[in-house]
Amino acid sequence: MTISNEVSNDAPILDVRNVVMHYRTEKGDVSAIENVSFSLKSGESFGLVGESGCGKTSMAMALLQLQAENATFKGGEIVLNGEDMLKMNPAEVRSHRWSDISMVFQGAMNAWNPVHRVGAQIKEAMDLHIRPQLSHTESRERIASLFEMVGLDPEMMDRYPHEFSGGMRQRAIIAMALSCDPQIIIADEPTTALDVIVQDQILTELKKIQHDLGMSIIYISHDIAVIAEVTDRMGVMYAGKMVETGPTIEVFHNPKHPYAFLLLSSTPSITGPRRKLAPLEGEPPNLLDPPPGCRFHPRCPFVTDQCRTEEPPLAEIGGGHRVACWNWESVPPLSEGLRK
Amino acid sequence: MTDVQAPASTRPLIKVEGLQKLFPIGSSRFRAPDAHVHAVDGIDFEIAPGESLGLVGESGCGKSTTGRMLVRLMDPTAGSILLQDGDEMIDIAAIDKRDMLRFRRRVQMIFQDPFESLNPRRTVYDTVAEPLTVQRVGSVPEREMRVAKLLDLVGLSPADTFMFRYPHELSGGQRQRVAIARALVLDPSFVVADEPTSMLDVSIRISIMDLMLSLAEEFGVSYLYITHDLAVARYMCDRIAVMYLGKIVEITDTEELLSNPQHPYTKALLSAVPVPDPAYRRPDVLIKGGIAKAIDPPPVCRFVDRCPMATDFCRTHDHPDLVDKGNRHFVACHLVESSAG
Ligand SMILES: Nc1ncnc2c1ncn2[C@@H]1O[C@H](COP(=O)(O)OP(=O)(O)OP(=O)(O)O)[C@@H](O)[C@H]1O
Ligand SMILES: Nc1ncnc2c1ncn2[C@@H]1O[C@H](COP(=O)(O)OP(=O)(O)OP(=O)(O)O)[C@@H](O)[C@H]1O
Ligand code: SF4
Ligand SMILES: [Mg+2]
Ligand SMILES: [Mg+2]
Repeated sequence: MTISNEVSNDAPILDVRNVVMHYRTEKGDVSAIENVSFSLKSGESFGLVGESGCGKTSMAMALLQLQAENATFKGGEIVLNGEDMLKMNPAEVRSHRWSDISMVFQGAMNAWNPVHRVGAQIKEAMDLHIRPQLSHTESRERIASLFEMVGLDPEMMDRYPHEFSGGMRQRAIIAMALSCDPQIIIADEPTTALDVIVQDQILTELKKIQHDLGMSIIYISHDIAVIAEVTDRMGVMYAGKMVETGPTIEVFHNPKHPYAFLLLSSTPSITGPRRKLAPLEGEPPNLLDPPPGCRFHPRCPFVTDQCRTEEPPLAEIGGGHRVACWNWESVPPLSEGLRK
Repeated sequence: MTDVQAPASTRPLIKVEGLQKLFPIGSSRFRAPDAHVHAVDGIDFEIAPGESLGLVGESGCGKSTTGRMLVRLMDPTAGSILLQDGDEMIDIAAIDKRDMLRFRRRVQMIFQDPFESLNPRRTVYDTVAEPLTVQRVGSVPEREMRVAKLLDLVGLSPADTFMFRYPHELSGGQRQRVAIARALVLDPSFVVADEPTSMLDVSIRISIMDLMLSLAEEFGVSYLYITHDLAVARYMCDRIAVMYLGKIVEITDTEELLSNPQHPYTKALLSAVPVPDPAYRRPDVLIKGGIAKAIDPPPVCRFVDRCPMATDFCRTHDHPDLVDKGNRHFVACHLVESSAG
């Protein structure tokens, strides 16, 4: 693993600055990432949460430079180990992808090629990216230990994808993402297809690898309890914008963006009284024609006139906690903890 | 056969008896050529009209296989699937071609994975309207209105901005909602929902569950709701069945299961549910390591190798029957005593 020497220990390994990415469509531009900034330190885990369709996967794809063909960057920098990926040529990008920054794709469990054995497909990835190449036996041993780590019978490496259940395919995908020892892993809904016991086992294992190897992880998930348990810092996205970032414990205990606040107060739970939950009022935003001013204003209970015309900046409110809301001081404390 | 009753007053909409699915696997240096994966190994349950039964359990324990058999996308190795049809119960495991079309209309499945189940070359409209076309329901303008209405109901609005998109132009959760709209477009009476909301944020998840619950209330739609999210199961389901390696190990009312779990696997499962508070440290999950093997498992309790409570008795006796331990709380474990009464 190479760590370039211009970078001091405290500098972020990944620094996303004011990135704007749109999708061109027949109906106009989809504003999927609008001026998003965040950073990731070495050994840190960062959680990304937000509404379905708010731009999380788009952000992840941009980090790997694997965006869809109709995507265009309108500005910003994605600085990996001191170098801006948006300025690199395709060959340079390829040299970083997988070995420096790898990804567990959302829905990747179906990316397996049905006619090849799962183990052979992992071996192929390792042969392409690990230098010097591992011998046949070394590869098999490595795959076996990765399989054990994600709770798969090593014998399964010689079986075909259709012989795996959905969750088993997903575990094999996680094994593949780890196979080339990346510095950064982006995990897009990595455990949603898994039962909670296997999820617990894999997340514990990832935490351990993260600490032992100083690996950084970006978790994207709709399961905010997972984000609470595994991340150090987090960001909340809404309609292509980053609306709140900060230490996970701060954001959970003291959410200050109205969307984050509503998200955290409406989570179903297995304890406490069984209650009817209220979904967010109003329509999800149309990214072909996003609302002016604050993008959350049509659905926001704290809206004031300013919100309808002026866009709130992502501003520090103390302790590394940033919020993009004109009225964050009106947002009440989350009554009681979320537990119970 | 164990007797897992839906509320005694109503006739079940669907009744499953001794359902089994074995997959033969080829030979290798690890095993004999005639080995089988026991994906689903003799399960029984009933679902009443308007009832929603949750199916939870380890990844790979046979939930999707069960669901696929119920909608006849896969033939069972053994067992029957009785579906209420007027005054009769017909065995859809033995149904013939002629009755298939009529049956398809009533029974739908929302597939686990919208990345796999949506045809990449068909627009959202084509996908959602297809069941209407196949069943020859309505005129073209009527179909368009019906599709638009469903897209609205699942939160893909304004509908006309989504109708003519292809799957690759949709986010994960948007694809999942297309799959839901498609399954509901024909007003089915029974829906197998395989992880239908796993990729949705809580808010949309709640609206979709509310939509499905209102269909249950108004039209008596029943669900087999497969999920890994126990909080979702709690919100959505009247009863929950817990599976482990092809067997149902516990089945009872949702609140009873969550507050008074009896099977050691269920207990472990509940203790592994993450808690949405970064300051809270969950105690360790009580389950032994090791990997569940579904290939020709020995006849003893399927959970024995990973069970923290297993005794010699468990290691030497057949897999325990699923029996009522009191108050219609069914458990398959040698060590769980029946409660008095
Ligand atoms: N290739 C594309 N062309 C046009 N629009 C697209 C394309 N890919 C994504 N979009 C749109 O961009 C927005 C952001 O999509 P993205 O996949 O990043 O969302 P997400 O936050 O990952 O959502 P989810 O949680 O549902 O996976 C969505 O509104 C989606 O419809
Ligand atoms: N076509 C097949 N050939 C061989 N084995 C199969 C096949 N389909 C499924 N299996 C096996 O059957 C078992 C049950 O699979 P199934 O897909 O029903 O699990 P599941 O409970 O839905 O899991 P998940 O929660 O991961 O989706 C697994 O051990 C799987 O490997
Ligand atoms: S800026 Fe205004 S509309 Fe936006 S979240 Fe804050 S209060 Fe609500
Ligand atoms: Mg996504
Ligand atoms: Mg499944």
